[in-house]
Amino acid sequence: MTALLEIKGLTIDIARDDGPARVVDGITLSLQQGESLGIVGESGCGKSLTMLSLVGLLPNRIRATGGTAMFGGRDLLKMNARELRAVRGSEIGFIFQDPMTSLNPVMRIGDQIAEALIYQKSIPKPAALSRAEELLALVGIPSPKDRMTAYPHELSGGMRQRVMIAMGLAGGPKLLIADEPTTALDVTIQAQIVDLVRDLKSKSDMSVVWITHDLALIAGLADRIAVLYAGTVVEDAPVNAIFDRPTHPYTRGLLASLPTLSDQPMARLASIGGTPPEPGRRPPGCPFAPRCAMAIAACADAVPQLTAVPGSDPRHRVACIVTTREATA
Amino acid sequence: MSDERPTSLWRDAWKRLRRNKLAVTGLFVVLALLLIALIGPWITPYDFLSQNLDARNMAPSWAHPFGTDDLGRDVLSRVIYGARTAFLVAICVTAIALAIGIVLGAIAGFYGGPFDRFMMWFTDMTMSVPQLLLVVVINASLKQPISSWMEQMYLQTLNPIWRNSAIVDFVLVFGTMALISWPPYARLVRAQVLSIRNRPYVTAARALGLTNRIILRRYVMPNAMGPLIVAVSAGLGTAMVLESAFSFLGVGVNPPTPSWGNMISDGLRVWTNYPHLLVAPAAVLAVVTVAFNFLGDGLNDALNPKGQK
Repeated sequence: MTALLEIKGLTIDIARDDGPARVVDGITLSLQQGESLGIVGESGCGKSLTMLSLVGLLPNRIRATGGTAMFGGRDLLKMNARELRAVRGSEIGFIFQDPMTSLNPVMRIGDQIAEALIYQKSIPKPAALSRAEELLALVGIPSPKDRMTAYPHELSGGMRQRVMIAMGLAGGPKLLIADEPTTALDVTIQAQIVDLVRDLKSKSDMSVVWITHDLALIAGLADRIAVLYAGTVVEDAPVNAIFDRPTHPYTRGLLASLPTLSDQPMARLASIGGTPPEPGRRPPGCPFAPRCAMAIAACADAVPQLTAVPGSDPRHRVACIVTTREATA
Repeated sequence: MSDERPTSLWRDAWKRLRRNKLAVTGLFVVLALLLIALIGPWITPYDFLSQNLDARNMAPSWAHPFGTDDLGRDVLSRVIYGARTAFLVAICVTAIALAIGIVLGAIAGFYGGPFDRFMMWFTDMTMSVPQLLLVVVINASLKQPISSWMEQMYLQTLNPIWRNSAIVDFVLVFGTMALISWPPYARLVRAQVLSIRNRPYVTAARALGLTNRIILRRYVMPNAMGPLIVAVSAGLGTAMVLESAFSFLGVGVNPPTPSWGNMISDGLRVWTNYPHLLVAPAAVLAVVTVAFNFLGDGLNDALNPKGQK
């Protein structure tokens, strides 16, 4: 396996009237060809911005200000608009959060899927439309031929998300980025979508990045999970290691807050007290320290670096000075 | 999901429009008048120019349903030809204004930046010019030179096309009216594009690697059409009234080309003796204006169902 995507020291700033505020603070992540990576973290921790920055889709006033993102030997952050456009769709496909609003309401879904093939890949319209029909069948839409001429509002949320996936796959990307694709869907539909993506991935050598705040959802999908907190990676490990041996206090907190069947009825779910620091007002040292029950004085001294967890999987790395020491002891 | 044919936005809007009696009436009146204007030359009982000095200022009768004017011309025929003038001016002016407005508004709203600021400044400046004054100035300053230039061209080429002074009227009227009509369209389009360009489906289109031009044309503009159609419907009515107003004041379409405006102007002078000369064109103008407004209101409700109570 070779590294398909290598993000090093990525920083993203929001331009504010009182100066830039850092939202993503030195994220380092790598992704192998054919691997699926889950990115977990609460709202505002920078998980979506990190991925959007790769393809130049950051909103106005938000900029990637440092670091590199090597993709197939080229630095995505140094590409100009035209080069990035060529990468979008054909090399990196996207699935967005809200299928209700992410489809053009006045365009038939068949045309919408064929759009990228016609305009970016210059495939003649009839061929593009028949390819779109194949894609609809591939993502499990019943009677795809009839659905080709449907408008988005005629489809249910789950169906629309399948259409979004078909659009994401249309260009045959090497990397599919799914940005909370199930957040807006019912629980049963969520499972179907996860199964669909896993199924599609197993048929090709495509890599998948799945952004979510739901650890349980991607347990069955991801090979590896990166936990983000306040714009930094706090834990990066193979999925089994995360669930068997969660090491960062934040990861432990996330896992403890999941309901399990063995919980006492009516028992309160565990939660992590406090809120994440605002961008631009992050504490010195470990960003999680103010909310952390295990924090010691040294936590405020320096930002902890990702280090291997002794005794765990060799790829299991954590940015915490307390718990890694505890593991050694 | 049903097995019916897919219902598009437009079909839904049509369904809602059909339930609105006033709007349907307005649409019917407008279409009927447009039809009359189109087939005018074949249905007018008399030539709109032929004078009959033996039958001047006649009251309405079976032979002349709207009577005759001070030169014995059939008023019905002139009203029908006036409809041709009104529709020609309204459609051409709206089309020109819309084209300018869409291009400037869409580019300004979509790309933003310095061009947007320049465009807004230019729009505000254009809107701040008093319309009537501008039209009068253009008429006073340009009409004479253009007419004498055409006279010269006729003398040089002997091509009869240069003798047709009605063309000058129309070109001047189209030009000046379009010049003062485009800013509202540009503002409307810009506002629409600003609100649409950050919608998730536009981001999704970007993520597909589509170019800005295709995104603007196929994702942004089609979704901006609803309010624009309402504005066009109202704009057509306004353009008709504006044309009549300018012709009434003698800076629009000039006699002998019939226009409701110059007919009203002529009728006003003699209305105590011959009220039908004023009533016929004025009533038609009033009816068509009201019809356009009903249609515009109906379209507004049909295309923006969320705005309904």
